Amino acid sequence: MGSAAQASVPGAYAWAATVAPAAWSRGGGLLAKGAALSALMTLAAGWIGERKWGGRARIASLWGFVLASAVTWSAAPTALAPLRIDAPRGIAGMLGWALFALALAAPSLEVPVAPALVAEGAPLVPRRRLARGDAAYLAFAAVVAVSMQFIGWRVAGAERALLVRFVALGAGLAVIDAAATIALARHARRATRPLRVRLRASMVALVLLGILFLTGLLFVLRG
Amino acid sequence: MIQLPDALAISLLVGAAAAFVLGEFALAAAEDLHAIYWLAVGMACVRAAVQVARPGAKT
Repeated sequence: MGSAAQASVPGAYAWAATVAPAAWSRGGGLLAKGAALSALMTLAAGWIGERKWGGRARIASLWGFVLASAVTWSAAPTALAPLRIDAPRGIAGMLGWALFALALAAPSLEVPVAPALVAEGAPLVPRRRLARGDAAYLAFAAVVAVSMQFIGWRVAGAERALLVRFVALGAGLAVIDAAATIALARHARRATRPLRVRLRASMVALVLLGILFLTGLLFVLRG
Repeated sequence: MIQLPDALAISLLVGAAAAFVLGEFALAAAEDLHAIYWLAVGMACVRAAVQVARPGAKT
């Protein structure tokens, strides 16, 4: 992965924290919105173009992103007024830009493989075929986790809004962890255990689930 | 071909995802009892799904 690709994540974060709010604020006109979108596209173009054009694409992406962001801020100057920027968002934006600069200036490098460690000859034959479809498990979990982040953005009250965000984050991580465990368990030898053994092993959780289901049913029937 | 235990684990995982989403909606609507119920159902589903897929796993 090149440095432009590594820098694109903090760059997108910095864009979301400082550029997008300015472009879509009350004073942001068409020029500000267009410049903000072009900044994001420049960031993505740097990621894609680095594979083909190398360092030149990285430099073009860096300057394009920074200049388009500057145009956005110039076109919507009232959005940057001290009263319109709260401290947490300002700090988040500063961190985003600092990480973007660090990722571009000092990307993590791959360790070169020594030729002596590479075994020559035909590829080795695998002992057994692994089950396919791990990506589908993780994609499902990722979609669920991301979907949960869209819930509860109009909650009144900072404490409850924060609680909703924390719960969404925790629930998303739990779903991703469970999906990864289920996907990996298919490759293990003990995955061939019969259903009876598995049900016995998960008896506590299933009984708890049954009790919860009956409790919910009773509440519904009572109205 | 997908095996029966895998299908059961996937069903429980989908149930957990649905329960978490319902819990989130209830939490956002300040319906705390419903939120706690659905989040508990989600956690139980996650636990059961992992145990069915990999007996002895800790989650």
